[in-house]
Amino acid sequence: MNHNPYKPIPMRIARTVVETDDQSLKSFELVFERDADREAFFSRYRPGQFCQLSIFGKGEAPFGVASAAWEGDFVRFTINKIGVFTRAIHSMKVGDPIGLRGPLGNWYPIENWKGANIVIIGGGYAFTTLFALTQHLLDPAIRPQYGNLTVIYGAREPGLFLYKKELQTWYERKDINLYQAIDCPADGWCYFVGYVPNVTKEIAPSAENAVAFVCGPPVMIKFTLPVLYELGFPAERIYTSMEKRMKCGIGKCGRCNIGPKYICKDGPIFTFAQLQELPPDL
Amino acid sequence: MYKILPKADLPRLIEKWMEQATVYAPVRQGDFTKFEPLSDPAQADLYYAANTRYPPKSLFLPQSEVMFRVKGSEFEPTGDEVSSRVVLGIHACDTRALQLLDGVFVDRDYQDPYWARKREQTTLVVLGCANPCETCFCTSVGSGPFDKRGADVMLIDLGNEYVADVRSEKGQVLFDHLPDASQEQIDASRQVQAAAAAKMKKPFETEGLKDKLYNLFESGFWATIQQSCLGCGVCTFLCPTCYCFDIVDEVQRNERVRNWDTCMFRIYSQEASGHNPRPTNTERTRQRIMHKYAYFVDLFNEIGCTGCGRCVRYCPVNLDIRQIIRSAQAWEES
Repeated sequence: MNHNPYKPIPMRIARTVVETDDQSLKSFELVFERDADREAFFSRYRPGQFCQLSIFGKGEAPFGVASAAWEGDFVRFTINKIGVFTRAIHSMKVGDPIGLRGPLGNWYPIENWKGANIVIIGGGYAFTTLFALTQHLLDPAIRPQYGNLTVIYGAREPGLFLYKKELQTWYERKDINLYQAIDCPADGWCYFVGYVPNVTKEIAPSAENAVAFVCGPPVMIKFTLPVLYELGFPAERIYTSMEKRMKCGIGKCGRCNIGPKYICKDGPIFTFAQLQELPPDL
Repeated sequence: MYKILPKADLPRLIEKWMEQATVYAPVRQGDFTKFEPLSDPAQADLYYAANTRYPPKSLFLPQSEVMFRVKGSEFEPTGDEVSSRVVLGIHACDTRALQLLDGVFVDRDYQDPYWARKREQTTLVVLGCANPCETCFCTSVGSGPFDKRGADVMLIDLGNEYVADVRSEKGQVLFDHLPDASQEQIDASRQVQAAAAAKMKKPFETEGLKDKLYNLFESGFWATIQQSCLGCGVCTFLCPTCYCFDIVDEVQRNERVRNWDTCMFRIYSQEASGHNPRPTNTERTRQRIMHKYAYFVDLFNEIGCTGCGRCVRYCPVNLDIRQIIRSAQAWEES
């Protein structure tokens, strides 16, 4: 039989990290059982893409990749414990087998923005693929190809930030400006306090020769977009990542469409200019 | 290439095909017919009920299909066992549907190996409709009762014999040994085709329809037309162009299976967070209609409906897609 795009490849959980103080978000670093699968994966993977993870008996679910290729021979997924599949994976241990299909979908098209200043704005646990993008840009071979790198990242409270250790290292670097914000003041917090749209307004990243990547809860998106427009970012230069319920992940099973576009195949990355062309089936 | 097949010779021909292939044809089941593998040519009933109630898409996208047998963490694909098949008596609308679905399953970035294999292994001997039903509207959606697209062979009924319009190499294999049709017979078959199409009423116009539907996206139109809809999904299950599927694990059988799914069910688009982009029948009806008459047109430049009339005939509350399209065309925002 021809290549079967529904067939999961065998992976193993190599490491888990509890990301948030409330234990609801956990990162899983998966490694490949077969070298050929690993090579095939990394020859295609670009930040912004997602995979279908597969646990027989619990089914499959889509998750954005939260790691850059240079980090190692693993693929990271940061997963919120919220449904049947995610509860199952949260109970799994290092060494357990798991299936993977991917990488799927399109990616943040940074190859089209060489030389540009990059503005990354994330809220809550939607930061996962933005983290992969930032990590990718911090690759010593990649970083010189772009201008300023600004990251604005908001969470409800300090304990809900993901990737706390890596964020600390970003503060120590000169080639990235990280601005973290929490909703309300908290003891010991020395960064921004306020919602992401307001903090973005305050920091006011220049739109000149710049492109923005924005992911977060709908309410954050809703109020951040006008701020970006006011700063001079046109909708064509603001990218986001969409999500919907999926099954096949390859544009066949039907359910993840917005108008004629399938989030899994035509997305998940769209500019707001592209989204404005589609019917509001959200 | 036109061949002539006396009706009396059909059983012998089917028998001959059966030596090489599994032959599927409409077989009576109570008040309906359904495509079944024949064990005896006499089982084939090409005329009893116009379109089979159960759509022949099931021969390519079964209602429930094992995708993998699971052994430990290995997923072993199924499908290789599908071998040569002949589908006899499929109508132009259902053939056209298969061709439209090739756009989804074969022609795009990812090929669906289950669909592709069954399509490759199958020869379609289409029976054109000399007497379309009341509920048929193929001529309104860019097709017709003798639409030959996708047909390996098109049979045209001349009363005592069929003219076989052989259109592909696969079709030639089945009909090569038959005598050629005479020019008179070919002419007669053309008359039958023209007369059948002329008999069909056009229940709606499709000009400007796509744009009209997009303009109606946020209109009260959808809430109005769905009021009697029960959300049972029969329109989508019986639809030859509806192809949405769910993938589920059958743990006791150690199988990963795909089953027909429907945009008419709440859970179809229900997300783990609780959010549902299509929370009521209104949004779901809009999705069903717009997928066929707007999104499909955008994607493939074809209407994703073949006018078979099953959704009209089997809707338990008599919702009629022809009426929905007419209403959409006539709708004016108040």
